[in-house]
Formats: sequence, C-alpha cells, structure tokens
Amino acid sequence: MKERTFAISPMPRVEGDLEARVHVRQNRVTEAWIAGVMFRGFEKLLIGRDPMDALVFAPRICGICSIGQSTAASDMLGRFYGVGMPENAYWVRNTVLGAEIIMNHQTHFYLLFAVDLTHPSLKGRPGYEEMCRRFHSLEGEAYLDVLKNRKTILEIMGLLAGKWPNSLAFQPGGVTRPITRSDRLRMLGVWRSVREFIEKRVLGGSLERWLEVSSLSDMDRWLGEASHADGDLGLFIRYGREWGLDTLGKGQSRFLSYGAFPRPDGSSLYKSGFSDTQSVASLEPGSITEDVSHSWFLESHSLHPYEAKTASDVHKEGAYSWAKAPRYQGYVTEVGPIARLIVQQDPLALDLVKELGNTVYTRIVLRFHDLMIILSAMETWIRSMDPEAPFYNKHKPRSEGEAFGFSEVSRGALGHWMQVKNGIIVNYQVISPSTWNFSPRGFKGKPGPVEQALTGTPVTDEQDLIEVKQIIRSFDPCLFCAVHSGGIS
Amino acid sequence: MKSRSFSVRAGCWTKAGEVSLGQNKNMNMLWIQSGSCGGETISFLNAEQPDIMTAFHLLNIELLWHPTLGSIGGHEVIPVLKACTDGSRPLDILVVEGAVYQGPRGTGQYACFGGRPLMDWVRDLANAAGYVLAAGTCASFGGIAAAGRNPMDATGLQFYRSRPGGFLGENFRSSSGFPVINLPGCPAHPDWMVETLLDLSSGKLNLSDLDRFQRPRVFYGKLAHHACPRNEYYEFKASAEMYSQQGCLFENLGCKATQCESDCNERLWLGRTGSCTRGGFPCISCTSPKFPDGFVPFFETRKIGDIPTTLPLDVPKAWYVGISGLAKLACPERLKVNAVSFKSVETEGETKS
Repeated sequence: MKERTFAISPMPRVEGDLEARVHVRQNRVTEAWIAGVMFRGFEKLLIGRDPMDALVFAPRICGICSIGQSTAASDMLGRFYGVGMPENAYWVRNTVLGAEIIMNHQTHFYLLFAVDLTHPSLKGRPGYEEMCRRFHSLEGEAYLDVLKNRKTILEIMGLLAGKWPNSLAFQPGGVTRPITRSDRLRMLGVWRSVREFIEKRVLGGSLERWLEVSSLSDMDRWLGEASHADGDLGLFIRYGREWGLDTLGKGQSRFLSYGAFPRPDGSSLYKSGFSDTQSVASLEPGSITEDVSHSWFLESHSLHPYEAKTASDVHKEGAYSWAKAPRYQGYVTEVGPIARLIVQQDPLALDLVKELGNTVYTRIVLRFHDLMIILSAMETWIRSMDPEAPFYNKHKPRSEGEAFGFSEVSRGALGHWMQVKNGIIVNYQVISPSTWNFSPRGFKGKPGPVEQALTGTPVTDEQDLIEVKQIIRSFDPCLFCAVHSGGIS
Repeated sequence: MKSRSFSVRAGCWTKAGEVSLGQNKNMNMLWIQSGSCGGETISFLNAEQPDIMTAFHLLNIELLWHPTLGSIGGHEVIPVLKACTDGSRPLDILVVEGAVYQGPRGTGQYACFGGRPLMDWVRDLANAAGYVLAAGTCASFGGIAAAGRNPMDATGLQFYRSRPGGFLGENFRSSSGFPVINLPGCPAHPDWMVETLLDLSSGKLNLSDLDRFQRPRVFYGKLAHHACPRNEYYEFKASAEMYSQQGCLFENLGCKATQCESDCNERLWLGRTGSCTRGGFPCISCTSPKFPDGFVPFFETRKIGDIPTTLPLDVPKAWYVGISGLAKLACPERLKVNAVSFKSVETEGETKS
C-alpha cells in the first residue's frame, strides 16, 4: 500500500502554534515530524538590557506558565547576585507555583485533552456517552464545572502575587508581598475549597486515599472503593485501558527533572536528576545542549546554552521547526510530570511505566498524580508562612558574570541561562519543557520524544487522525515558549 | 426572531460529527492568536461575575472559534475562517491577541497558521469584521513583542507604539465604522473584555467613548495609582526602601502607577484579591503605548537630584517639589516607621483617643 502524508495544521487546543506531519502506510504512522511554526525571538529581546529586566520579560514568554518563568528567572538572578532567600520566600514561591500547576493541569485535562474523548469517530466505545456528557467542549458537565471552578485557587495567587499572568512578586532575594495572619487564614480557606472541589469532581473520594495508591493493581483496587469510579479520574482510569490508551503513544524512556519546590533546609518536594527508569543519576547542568540541525537556525552543531549564538535562516535545507532540539548527554529526553515522578522514584509512576510503558494513559494518570501531590503539600507551605518573619533580602549590584536558573513547571523542566557584561545582558537562553518534548530531529536525524511516540500509531481515520492528536495532547504541548530564541541574521 | 437557545457551541463537533457554525445569535465572535504568549486568553478565562460562559449567554454572543475553547481543529478550522473572509458567514466581532509579526523582511513568516502567514489572516479577517478588538498591549501597540530593536518587526493593529498606523493603517475602519478598539494591558483585565463585549452587543459604544489611543475611556480614564492602599504613604512621601516594605513604591522602587492609565487598582484581579502594588511590586504602566521601553528602569526610580524623573502625569514639577517637601516635614511618625517595615509596627501616639 502506498505511503501517504498528512498534516495537522493548525493543531487546535494546544497552547501555542504547532504543526504535525505524519507518513501513514497500512493504517500506521511510519514517521512523524513536529514543528513549532511561530518564532518569537524572546531571548533576542533581552540582549542589551539590564539583568533585572528579565523579571519583566520572562513571565511574558508564556502566559500559561508565567509564574514558572518568573521562578526560573528569579532563581537565576538570585544566583547571579549571590543573594539567598528568607524561609518565608520559599513557602510563598512554592505556593504560587503550585497554584499555577494545579490550575494548568485542570485546564489541560478538561479544556484541551478530554474533549478528544468525545470525538464523533469514537462513538460506540464503552462509556462514550458518559464521556460526552461530561467532556463535550463548552457544554459538558465537567467541562463547565471546571471552567468555573478552576479559578478558585487564583485567590491564593492574587494575595501572594498580585495578578496573574505576569506578576513581579518573585525577586532575587525573596518575594515582595509579606502576609498577615488573616491572609494566611484566608488562603487556608481557599485551599480547602479547592481540595473539596478536586475530591468531589476528580477523585470521587479523599486526597489521602489517592496518595496511598502505589501500583497499578493498587489503583484498580482504589477504583473499586467508595465512589472513586464516578470521579473524572476514575472514569478515565476505567475506560482509558478499554479504549487502548495504555498502548497508544509509547514513548522513549529517558527522563529529566530539575527538581522543584525547594525547602529552606536544602531538601525539596521533587528531586532533580536524570533517569532511564532503572536508576537515577544526579543532574549535571553542563550536560544540556541544544541541537539546531533541523531547526531554522544557522549553526548546526550542539552547543551548551552559554555558547549558543544563533541566527535564523528560513531557507535552511532539512529544517522544519522554530523549536531547537535540546538533548541531555546527547540523548533524546522527555520532561513533564511523568519525568519528575520517575526521577523522584515515585512508586506509582515506576509501576505504571513498568507495567504499561510511557503511554498516553500513563502520562494523563501521572499528571493527576502530580496535581494531588502538590495540592497536598500546599497546605504545609501555607501553614509554614510566618507573618512575623522577613520575606525578602536586598541584593547588591553586580555587572559581570553568568548564571542559570531552573524550575519545574506544569509541563516539566524549565531553564534560563544568562551572561552579563558591563551591566547588560549579552546572551540569554531559555529551554522550556515543550522544547524538550516537541523537539525536532537532532543529530543524525534522531527524532524527538513526541515524534518517536507517534511512530507506529494506528490510524483509524486518515481525515481526523484522532489518535495522533491524542498522543500530541497527552504531552500537554505549550508552544508559546518552545519556539525559541536566537537572533536575526 | 432571535434564537432563544442558550447554546454557544459554535466551532465544535455536533452529535452528527459535523462542524457547527452556530445559530442565529445576536452577534458572533472569533478569536485569533497572533504573535502572542496566550496571556490574554488566560486572563479572559479568569473572568468572574460574570464568568465567560455566563457572559456569552447574557450577551447572546456565540463563539465562532477560539484556539483553546471549542473542539475543532486542523482541516475543520480553515473553512470557518474562510467562510468569514469570503462573506458567506458574517463576522461581527474579531478579537486579535498578540502583535502582528511582519518579519522576516515583511513576509510574516515568523508566524504561520494553516500554512499561511498569520499576518495575512489578520488583515483578511479584520476587513471582514464588524468590530475589531485588540486584546492586550501587543495587539494594541506592539508591546513586549516590539520591544527594543524590535527584531520580529512586530506591530500593533493600528498603532506602532504611540504612532498611529500600525499594521492596518491609520485609516482602517471595520464595517461598523469603528477603528480598532484597543484594550491594552499586559494582560488586559478580563472585565475590560467582557464589558466591551457588552457595549458592542447592546450597541452602546460610541466613537466618542474612545480616548486618543482608541481605548474605552471608562477603563483607561483613571490611574493605576487610584485606590492604591499605599496612598497615605504617597501623600506624605513615606517611601519603602526595599521590596516587602509597606511604604510607597514611587520614590525609590520604580512605581509608575501615577502615570499608568488604568482602573486596575480599583477593579482588582483574581477574585478581586490583588493588584501590582498590592502585591508589593511596582506598576510598570503596561497599558501604555510606550510599554515596555518607556518605563525603564522597572525596579528603581530614576532621579535628578532628589526629584524623580517619572512625575505623576499632569503634576507640574515645581508644585511637586513644593508639595513633597512639605509632605515629608508633615509626615506622621507612624508612617515613617511603617514605610520601611514589612509588618505593621505600633508607634507612640497612634492609639491616642
């Protein structure tokens, strides 16, 4: 049978602009290409500016993860100026970043991913009618419920970060907004409402019980208890495997996490590291490179972000994306909730990947798992805030040097790199999570994580390519910031 | 008669597996993301009282397509857009989020949509639309996307920074006779979007309601300084010396709220819980056509002698010098002490009855 090529452009319900092209032969994807189709030149905008300007520009790289971008930039500036944070600043930053991730995970599942479960071509599958009742866009019961209630947690964000997106509350040396006892009580109240909503809507049961789930068989036991099967997660767990989502989009098996939610004592909620699922190696920032061999940028060998000096070239032969191809020790590497859980050696994550592999199903279940872990930790962070203790340390000026800042955001590992001379930025590089996952081919034409996950996918309808879209969305693409960098020749 | 149905589900799959182009609502709306970060969409989703679904129902507006909401995509979207541009589906309200990228070399190839430069879609849709709304500072004036040397050749729809013209030209009028209606802000407050939609759907917006930068005066006729809880500190020039302190951020820490035309400190964000200055950081005047480069440095106040160069919008310098000198002399101890403290400090005399 002849090989045919199909393009999905524009790819809807992803954050940012993305195009997918697949070769299909005998109803299977034989090869895939993922392209970022917008060039935003953000890093170029920062060259020549005061290092502190990064705080204004960073959140505006991506309106979805703006707090995440602020975390990475302020972490970088804190390192650059050599200033530490008071204890309170850790709790405030963790809470605000956690709030953003909790909200983004809900937005991803309900507004972007689950809508695909209602596609007309899936009619007749078990549970389809129930999926439609809940997840139909702009009218499903769960869709509307979440569209309304996802905002509750913003009240915590408003108290601590003033506004969102684009807050300037995260500074090198701490945070700008001290809290009072009444703020703390109010935040605990909001947290409680969010928790109750998630327990009712998503879990159909208690947060604590979910956090005890430590294996696939345990998860199936959980499903049989209380009214867990009626929650939206239960519904997905119930039918996801019947629909074959546990075999769809099997990805490669190297994972990277920068670690997240640090505590003043040096520990953190999520550890940093690099894992092939068998073992975890400690993170070496020097092992991160970016390959532009198939991107519309001039140079063609892999470079560390500090060395990257790129210029765009729209006519470059073999190039097909505005996204670069980040690699760790030269390896194609996946980031995201699944990656931070594997690096953390979370028992549920390890067992799901061992039993089912790194698939659409695993990624979705583990994104919810990540949400529950962060939601649970948030209560401790809020309670730890001390209105009587300081929130901010002032830094001293510095006009030469370089620094990097790392954070974990909704979609995974985010890094900023900056070099400064004579008080101005001379090089600025951002590698966002979707740059890793949605990277184009790199050295020797080795496809990126999503390109690999798409290869071999069964295609039931060449017109709709619903399986291809489900796989792409299971990675929660955000191309606003993946599409990158560089300068104009 | 207008349909009384409460469905806003255009741009979605119907039960029959077709693409719905909606019903006969009062008005329809199509939202396109140009050179954007998605922040305007996020801000719009944050709308409350009314939230966006309630607003659509109340205003009888149907959503023709939005890149995040709805379900259709790929081969299903382009026909919707084409139906708008060729006139077979009248388009009432076009919302553009993000700047127009004209680079490289005027081709618009830095941003494509369905294999075609977004720039071309924006022009065709704007020409077909009843009203064109620029959501956010990038779409209005170029904003962050056009900062510095503007490597992307980015511009606003009808302004490039403060200069009229922009992408569509100074003389552009949508079919209603309106120029582009600018709703700047980084991001725009969701209320500004929803209330403008209300005015459009009820035919209440007049040309005279727009200011010199084509912004509805009702939102941009105030200053971000209004209703700032630090105003008493401002009055007595009791200033914070570093972040997290309670004093005014104007004198030392770069606050531009006395220059920023916006009602955001009255309106408040995120469940009416916060604003920039309430969050303890300076206003950077994000609703201005000169944002961002007109407001550097962002985090400190540039001064000549002791006098800030960023004086309040219409206060003459001599008066400022006189008033602020007197105000400092008259400043109560309570404010002096608290201005440089991160927590409330009691001073003698405060509790005198």
